[in-house]
Amino acid sequence: MKRNLITLITGAVLIVIFALLLFVFQVRQSEVAVVTTFGKITRVADPGAHLKWPWPIQRVYKFDERTQNFQDKFSENLTADSITLLTSVYVGWRISDPSEFLNSFKDGSVFSAQSQIESMLTSAKSAVVGNHPLADFVNADPNQLEFDQIQAQIEQALQSELHTNSYGIQIEFLGIQQLGLPESVTQAVFDRMKSERNILISRAQNEGQAEAIKIRANADRQANETLADAQAEATRIEGEGVAEAAKTLPVFQKDPGLANFLLSIDAIKQALNQRSTLFFDDRIPPFDLFHGALTNVPGH
Amino acid sequence: MSDEHDHHDHASGPAAPEPVTPDDAGSQALAEALRSSFVIVKLVMVALVVIFLGSGFFQVGTQEKAIILRFGKTVGQGQEALLGPGLHWSFPYPIDEVVRIPITEIQKVVSTIGWFAETPEQELSGNLPPPGPSLVPGVDGYVITADRNIIHTRATLYYQVDDPIRYELDFVSASNTIQHVLNNALLNTAARFKVDDILYGDVAGFQDAVEQRVSALADQERLGITVKQCNVMSIPPRQLKSVFDQVTEARQNLNKVLDDAHSYENQATNSSAAQASAIISEARSAQARYVQSVQADAKAFSALLPNYELNPGLFRQQQLVQVMGQALTNVDFKTYLPTTANGKPIELRLMLNREPPGPKSGAPAQP
Repeated sequence: MKRNLITLITGAVLIVIFALLLFVFQVRQSEVAVVTTFGKITRVADPGAHLKWPWPIQRVYKFDERTQNFQDKFSENLTADSITLLTSVYVGWRISDPSEFLNSFKDGSVFSAQSQIESMLTSAKSAVVGNHPLADFVNADPNQLEFDQIQAQIEQALQSELHTNSYGIQIEFLGIQQLGLPESVTQAVFDRMKSERNILISRAQNEGQAEAIKIRANADRQANETLADAQAEATRIEGEGVAEAAKTLPVFQKDPGLANFLLSIDAIKQALNQRSTLFFDDRIPPFDLFHGALTNVPGH
Repeated sequence: MSDEHDHHDHASGPAAPEPVTPDDAGSQALAEALRSSFVIVKLVMVALVVIFLGSGFFQVGTQEKAIILRFGKTVGQGQEALLGPGLHWSFPYPIDEVVRIPITEIQKVVSTIGWFAETPEQELSGNLPPPGPSLVPGVDGYVITADRNIIHTRATLYYQVDDPIRYELDFVSASNTIQHVLNNALLNTAARFKVDDILYGDVAGFQDAVEQRVSALADQERLGITVKQCNVMSIPPRQLKSVFDQVTEARQNLNKVLDDAHSYENQATNSSAAQASAIISEARSAQARYVQSVQADAKAFSALLPNYELNPGLFRQQQLVQVMGQALTNVDFKTYLPTTANGKPIELRLMLNREPPGPKSGAPAQP
């Protein structure tokens, strides 16, 4: 009896576990499940534990509901101004309608969905890129740059194509991640860049010289002006001095004879200050004292 | 439960098997052994249950958060579902699943589009691979600037997860998405900047613009992250390195030439100002000297005038003699010519051979 009871309980537990395995399935958070009954979609299950009939009656397909991410390879398109431009974009997409998704792709293969998106993307890109000149992709003027509009147009084209075909796929975001030029064109671009650099080099040199000459000439002119102003000022000051000195004129006016005499005295003092040779005879004072003293002139 | 069973066993045990004669000691020993081994099995079962439940305890570190998925579904709503650091308990697998998300740790992604093909060894050693004549699409990365130049640039983004639920449960690979967003930001920003601004003029502005664009895109696509820092490094194509260097050199020379010119300007201005003030102050002092001397003369004149008026002839004579005396002490050669016998002055002929003025040439001052 004891053995029977234990066996019974153990058996019951095992059966329950087995039944759970057969009849219950779990859907993880971030997943969504589609239940098919005899191959026909009958139910979509959200995260949590759910009941089902065992295979072959019902079958459960689980899908990742999170945003998936992929980047396409470079594709070559002509822009509106006939420049070959290579573009590569990245796409964030997710399964928005699992039933449609399961109907569109065998066993709900994410891989085949991705290659489907990629081929649609190629045509969407060529349509949109062909409508824009290169200046819409690269431009220093933010008002003329249409980078974001181009991205939005590609996204819209892709989204509407997916929607028309009822793939159950939602594009979450799309962005251009790389622009390129054909290999031969990069060489031409290098040549152009090189000549632009050379222009910059010679401009820097010539502009520098010209500017330096201008600065120096300006400096010289200013210096000369300053000096000329100073000279003029000096002349003016000299004039002031003369005018000031002229005020003393009435004093000398009292006796011009004495004034002239004093000036002469001064002049002589000045003249005889340096090394000089002086000739004089006995008529000039004070040598007039010698007059007759040292001579044999009679009658003197 | 098992205890109850034991009671049943004890209650019915003595009732049934006791009357049976213990016919041999062997079977009794066997029963004894069975009983004791049953006790061991019970203990093992209890231990297993304890271990099963105890395995539900888990630790959450300081640098992470955790989410419990019960039958696959998040326990709790929104931010309440996040378990902070500490000890937590969940049902063991397959009922509950614990998802750990690192958050405070700063994560890093590097852009993949703007740099030329480089092996990790070359990157570590800093040796650039030798440039080919052109860039191969898909192999050599680069960006096109607003003025249609090709340059290489690489961005490194540091970010922190601030919405772990969104980051972990809404994206298959959020870090991949962030890398794509970073590439897009780098490409788009380069398309708006001119080559000289990216490389020399506005390096910081370019970096800020990339960071802003990444932040804006991350917000727009709700990636659940905060951008901490974004470093951008840009170089001209290796093929054109020398010519780009020459431009830099020419610009430096330009600055030097201009600096020289400006220093000449300073010098000229300063020296002319100094000269001008010297000229003016000299003029002032000359004026003052002149006026003073004239005034002194006038004063002397006024003082002498009364003496002069007393006897002009004598006064003249007096002054003249005094001057002659002074002059004669200064004069080097004095020649006295007495009057000839006939009363006429002696005729004197001079041959002048003047000494050159001043010792300028340094020649001996001999006539």
